Amino acid sequence: MVAAAPHWIRTPASGLRLGVQQNRLWRTWRVARTGIYIWAIYKFPSWTRRLLGRPTPSLRPTHERAAHAVLACALEMQGPIIKVCQGIATRSDVFPRAVVEILKQCHDAVPAREYSAVKAVVEQELGKPLDAVFSDFDTRPLASASLAQVHRARLHDGREVAVKVQYPGLEALVKTDLRSVRIACRVYEFFDPQPIALLPLLTEITDHTAMELDFRREADSADHVREIFSEGEGVIVPEVYREWSTGRVLTMELVEGIKITELEALEAAGLDPGQVVQDLMQIFVRMIFAAGFFQADPHPGNLMVRPSGDIIVIDYGLSKHLPRGFGMGLFELLFSMMTMNESAMVRAFTELGFRTEDGDTDVFLLIARRMMRRSDTGRFEGEFTEEMTGELFDAIRENPLVDVPTDFVLVGRVFSFLSGIAHTLGHEANVLEAMGART
Amino acid sequence: MSTEVKLADDRLDYSLEDLLASGDFAEPLIAGGVRCHGGFDADGVYGSPRVLHRKPAIQAWQRALQAQGHELLEISSDLMPPQYPSVDQAVLLCRNGVREPVVRALTIISVVEGFGAIIRDVKMPDLESIVVEPFHGTALAHLAGGLFEAHARDEAGWGDEGGHKQMWEAARDLAFESPEIPDDVLMRIMGGPGGRGRPRKRGFPQIDETFERMVGLMSNVLIVELFAEEVFRWGKAVLANPEISAEPEQASAMVGYIESDENPHVEYLRTALSEVAARNLRTSDGAILSGREVVHGTLHSMLRQITRQRPEEQRAQVRENMAKLFTQAENPSALREEFESLEQPWSPPPHTGFEPQLPDSG
Ligand SMILES: Nc1ncnc2c1ncn2[C@@H]1O[C@H](COP(=O)(O)OP(=O)(O)O)[C@@H](O)[C@H]1O
Ligand SMILES: [Fe+2]
Ligand SMILES: [Fe+2]
Repeated sequence: MVAAAPHWIRTPASGLRLGVQQNRLWRTWRVARTGIYIWAIYKFPSWTRRLLGRPTPSLRPTHERAAHAVLACALEMQGPIIKVCQGIATRSDVFPRAVVEILKQCHDAVPAREYSAVKAVVEQELGKPLDAVFSDFDTRPLASASLAQVHRARLHDGREVAVKVQYPGLEALVKTDLRSVRIACRVYEFFDPQPIALLPLLTEITDHTAMELDFRREADSADHVREIFSEGEGVIVPEVYREWSTGRVLTMELVEGIKITELEALEAAGLDPGQVVQDLMQIFVRMIFAAGFFQADPHPGNLMVRPSGDIIVIDYGLSKHLPRGFGMGLFELLFSMMTMNESAMVRAFTELGFRTEDGDTDVFLLIARRMMRRSDTGRFEGEFTEEMTGELFDAIRENPLVDVPTDFVLVGRVFSFLSGIAHTLGHEANVLEAMGART
Repeated sequence: MSTEVKLADDRLDYSLEDLLASGDFAEPLIAGGVRCHGGFDADGVYGSPRVLHRKPAIQAWQRALQAQGHELLEISSDLMPPQYPSVDQAVLLCRNGVREPVVRALTIISVVEGFGAIIRDVKMPDLESIVVEPFHGTALAHLAGGLFEAHARDEAGWGDEGGHKQMWEAARDLAFESPEIPDDVLMRIMGGPGGRGRPRKRGFPQIDETFERMVGLMSNVLIVELFAEEVFRWGKAVLANPEISAEPEQASAMVGYIESDENPHVEYLRTALSEVAARNLRTSDGAILSGREVVHGTLHSMLRQITRQRPEEQRAQVRENMAKLFTQAENPSALREEFESLEQPWSPPPHTGFEPQLPDSG
């Protein structure tokens, strides 16, 4: 993610430079305050409106105020709450667009921690003084994110490494914070006559956070993806040096390349951006459709290109196994949308695990039609554009679906990211073309 | 089938609707519960979809081309690589309870057939500015105006009417009673290593890239369509075997229907490519290049690649997990021995028939 905190973030009084405010009572109160505020801004206007008999205006401004309150709370509290916001920002199928847009800022909004704190974690985790492992260790981080920050360093044998260090005390914070948020959700569900089912979402975010907190898992995921591309497909997955890694410290091969969205730099290196897009698509298509295991977070900060054309994929914190048959189900869905075959669309949605309340499958067709209307020809042409995924998530949110498979949402988000990157480079991210089937 | 041989129809211009129009059918084709394209006449004879005008149109374009003294290009069937595992090997495996390779092969065929539909999304070049001689009233002039679309719909289906993709699936499910689909099908279909960000190598860099790509795709599809003859022979023989197929008649008949639909694909593609070969092309810097050089050059390099590399790849892929599968049989070593004894080595003929005429042209 991005290195320094943008200047517009005010450092709250709790003093972030010294680390996260650990006082549990304070943290619980901070969440409660935000919860009450949000509840109030949604409820009071509707009471007054009802009293005065006024029509219901657009909720967008209220959504924005609520999102800003959550963002402020997250920035002040740091730690897991940031993760919750990031989780919300990935679920445009559930939350209003205004909220998602604002909470996306969480990604860039994490200030760095003191070097001494980082050093302490590394030494405690590796059980050795820092200089017993590293001959060099940059005191300034390469990047900082919600759960960890990354420092450049050098091993005694001269190898250059990136060391990802988890912030201290996170596990305990996850427990307190998620409990507070959980209570806030319960209260919300109690008051709202038609609540969004927040608890299952929270459980999911909790699971994902727990997953990301275990760096060993991240290392395993990296190995898994490297294995998928072991036949020289031009995909670089940084090696994890297990010897110097634990559940909270990840020592990896340092990788360098051109950021994937830097068009001019790519061209200057003699690369064809169209081919880069094609290669990138093939990588993700292969993971999702064929291998059933994928890196689920391909934002531009996690992708680089070497002058050789090899593509570097980092950050396996959010990586997932897909259930058996998922790739084929997804393929059938895309295919049926390409051929306007509505009975096949219904079969594919069902196969993927979508469910409606009363078994009414017309809802699936509504969703598919809304996605397809975003294309010039009125049928799916192979690209999952950002507008299409937006439309998809709007449709899912507005229709009475009981079950939307999370895997589907994650995959949709991946293709939306890839389409965004492709467009930045002046190209299209065609999924069917990337499957490269030999007709 | 070709019941309507209308000699007098010399019309050369057709609308999109014309080229997509089907005749009337007495009865629809329902395969595995899915309504498919085409149908049967009163005598129960299968008729292909969208050929009411498409078929006479293609014939008229072919006659016109030949009347102008040009030839229709011909790809030798000697170049056609055999399907692996062979019919005998496939039957042997199924008889011994090892159905996975056959189910996988049939599924791959269905998916690849469906992918044929991407031909409709090929970017159309500005033919007027590239092709020197006039070309109205040709197949070339009707590619975007119905031929690609009809082809796409035949392969992948359209609306709730299934196409070849669904028909192959139906044949598979009839014969093997809806078997479990191996989950590596898509992995096996996907192409190899990517382009590594390098601009792709072009055979004819002097002509418009969109045009070159279109000719490339058409040549590739033409070759696949022609070589599909072997796939049909294989499919019909395997699926018609009552020892291993639950519905020998229905399943193999289905493959026969698909086969009869493919004829217009082969014919319009070879007609349009022949029409290009009979003309001259303007290069990007204003020079003139013979269309023959481009079409024959493209076919030559593709045929070499497809006949040399692909059979090897297919064989290697099938054999990859064969060892594991043999162990499912009752007597693995006997099965293996018998399977190996049925191997029939094949090597491609030395010439494609499209060799460049000069040692280093193109
Ligand atoms: N192996 C590496 N080599 C070079 N830089 C790295 C490496 N791993 C991470 N980084 C840098 O650190 C940033 C954050 O790391 P990342 O693994 O993406 O953390 P997070 O999961 O918090 O997003 C990356 O965007 C990249 O700039
Ligand atoms: Fe076909
Ligand atoms: Fe075909």
